[in-house]
Amino acid sequence: MTRFLSKDFLSGLMFIAFGLAALYFGQKLAVGTPVRMGPGYVPRMLSFILLGLGGLICVVALYAGGEIVERPKWKPITMVTLGIVLFALLFERAGLLPALVVLVLIASLGGEEFKLTEVIGNMIVLAILCTIVFKIGLGMNISIIQGVW
Amino acid sequence: MDLLNNLLLGLSVAVSLQNLLYALVGCMVGTLIGVLPGIGPVATIAMLLPITFHLPPTASLIMLAGIYYGAAYGGSTTSILVNLPGEASSVVTCLDGYQMARRGRAGAALSISAVGSFFAGTVGTIIIVVFAEPLTRMAQKFGPADYCSLMALGLVAAVVLASGSVMKAIAMVFLGLLFGLVGTDVNTGAQRFTFDIPELSDGIDFAPIAMGLFGIAEIVVNLERHLERSGGVIKVGSLWPTREELRRAIPAAIRGTALGSLLGVLPGGGPTLGAFSSYTLEKKISKNPGQFGKGAVEGVAAPESANNAAAQTSFIPMLTLGIPSNAVMALMVGAMIIQGIQPGPEVMTKKPDLFWGMIVSMWIGNAMLVIINLPMIGMWVKLLTVPYRFLAPAILLFCCIGAYSLQNSTFHVMQVAIFGVLGYVFVRLGCEGAPFLLGLVLGPQMEEYFRRAMLLSRGDPMVFVERPISLGLLIATAILLVLMALPSIKKAREEAFQEEG
Repeated sequence: MTRFLSKDFLSGLMFIAFGLAALYFGQKLAVGTPVRMGPGYVPRMLSFILLGLGGLICVVALYAGGEIVERPKWKPITMVTLGIVLFALLFERAGLLPALVVLVLIASLGGEEFKLTEVIGNMIVLAILCTIVFKIGLGMNISIIQGVW
Repeated sequence: MDLLNNLLLGLSVAVSLQNLLYALVGCMVGTLIGVLPGIGPVATIAMLLPITFHLPPTASLIMLAGIYYGAAYGGSTTSILVNLPGEASSVVTCLDGYQMARRGRAGAALSISAVGSFFAGTVGTIIIVVFAEPLTRMAQKFGPADYCSLMALGLVAAVVLASGSVMKAIAMVFLGLLFGLVGTDVNTGAQRFTFDIPELSDGIDFAPIAMGLFGIAEIVVNLERHLERSGGVIKVGSLWPTREELRRAIPAAIRGTALGSLLGVLPGGGPTLGAFSSYTLEKKISKNPGQFGKGAVEGVAAPESANNAAAQTSFIPMLTLGIPSNAVMALMVGAMIIQGIQPGPEVMTKKPDLFWGMIVSMWIGNAMLVIINLPMIGMWVKLLTVPYRFLAPAILLFCCIGAYSLQNSTFHVMQVAIFGVLGYVFVRLGCEGAPFLLGLVLGPQMEEYFRRAMLLSRGDPMVFVERPISLGLLIATAILLVLMALPSIKKAREEAFQEEG
C-alpha cells in the first residue's frame, strides 16, 4: 500500500491527470496534418508524451519503491492561499489598505508564532512602505482606501 | 578593434547616471535577498518584473542582472557569519567560512570571498565579451529545425545537470511546454485552453506563475518548517587576510573562477553547480584534505569565486542564443519579451547599446558589490535579526501587488494563488519548478519553430536529422540521455545530489 503513496508514483499520476485534462479540453482543437498543423497538433502531441511519461514514472515507482510523500500541514498552505484570494477580492473593491490588513493578518495566522502587537506593527510599516513605493514612487493607479484616496 | 569599440559603446551606456543608479538598486536588492534566507533571486525577479514595465529596457535588464549576481554575493555573508546560507549557491561556503569565523578570521573570510568574487566577476565578464560575437554569428546560420533541436538540447541538458529525478524533470519540462501553449494560437487565431477567460487569450503570464511556484510555495514550506534563526552573530574582526591565507586563497580563487565560468555556460549550470563542483575539486587536489570543514581558506575562496563566475557566464546562452539555462535566465528572457525584445542572436546586432551596456554594467556592478559588502557589512548582518514571521507576510504582499500591477487586474493575483498551490504540490511530490519554468518560457517559440520546420520540409520529420547542425544537436541530446541511464554515472550523479541536499 505504501508504494502507492510514494512521491514518484503520485507525481506520475499528476502528469497523467494533466495529460488527460489537456486531451479533454483540447478535443475541439483541429489537429491538422504534419504539413499544415492545426492549433491542436502540438498540444495533442504533448498530452500523449505526458501520458506516456506519467505512466512510465508510475510503473518505475511501483517497481522500485521510493520516498513516501510527507503528510502536508494544512494550516500554512490554506492560510497563505486564503490570504492571497481575499487580497485579490478586496484590492479593487476596498483599496490597498484593507486588502493589506487582511492579507498580513491571515498570513501571520499561518505561522506558528502570533503576537497581535507585532502583526499590527508589521501592518503599519508595510502600509507606509507600499504607499510610498507604489502609489507615490511608481505612480501606480491604485487607491489606498477606495473612494477616499 | 571592433571589440574595443563595442566595449566603449557599452561603457558609455553603462555609466549614464540612470543606468548606474539602477545597477546600484539591483545590487542592493540582490545583496538584501542574498542575506535574507527564505527568499531567492527567482521569486524576487518575478516580483519585480511588473515594475520593469515602467523602466527603459536597458535599465530594467541592468537592474535584474544586478539582483542575480548580487544575491550570489550577499549569500556568502550570512554563510560565513551565522552559518546560514542565504542562497543555495553559498551552501558550501558555510562549511569552511563559518569555521574560519569561529576562529576569529571572519573579516579575512569575508574579504577573500568579496575580492575573489570580484575577480571571478571580471573574468566572467571578459569571457562574455570574447565569446558573445562568435556564438551570435554561429546562431545566425540556424534554421527553424536547428533552433528546435537546440532548444531540445538546452532543455534536456538543464534537466540532467540541475535536478534529482531525470524522468520527473523531463515530464515537468513537457508540462511547462503545455502550459506555454495556453492562449491564442499565432497561426490560426484559435483559442487554446483559455476557458473563455479573456485574460488568458494572450497566454499565461509567467510572472505570476514564477511568483506562485517559487515565491508562495517557498513561503509555505518555510512556515511549515518553522524557519527560525538562532546562534549569535560573530564579530567581523580585521578584514585583512594574512600572507599565508593569501598564498592559499589566490590559486584556489583562480581554479574556482575557471571551473565556475565553464559550468555557468552549460544549460542547467549556474552558481550552485559551480560552487559545489569547485569545493569538491579543491578538496580532491588539496595536500591536506583533512583541513576542509575546519576552516580551510581554499574552501571559501574557490566556491565563492566559482558561484560568481558562473552567475556571469550563464548569461552567454541567453544573450547569444536566446536559450535560458536556468530559472533566473528564463525570467530574464521574460523581462526582454515584456520590453518587446525577442531574445536571440538579433539582440546584439539590432540593439548593440542594450547588449554591450548590460555587459559593461555587470562589471561595474561587481565593483559596486565589493563596496556595498565590505564596509557596510554591519548593516547587512543587522537585517538577519528580522524574524521570518515579519518577512513572510511582506513577501506575500509584494507578490500580490506585483502581480496586480502587471495588467492592473486582480485576475493575475488569483493566478498567483493557484500556482502557489500547484507549486506546493510540486514541492511535496519532489518535482522541481525550474524545468517547468524553462519549458513554459520556451514553449511558444519551440512550437513556432517546430511548425515552421515541418512546413518547410512539407511534413517530413526527417528535416531534423538531415540538417547537419540539427543532427549534431540531437545526437548530443541523445548522448546526454543515454549517459544518464548508465548505472555508473547514475550512481555518481545521485551521490553528487545527496551532497548538495
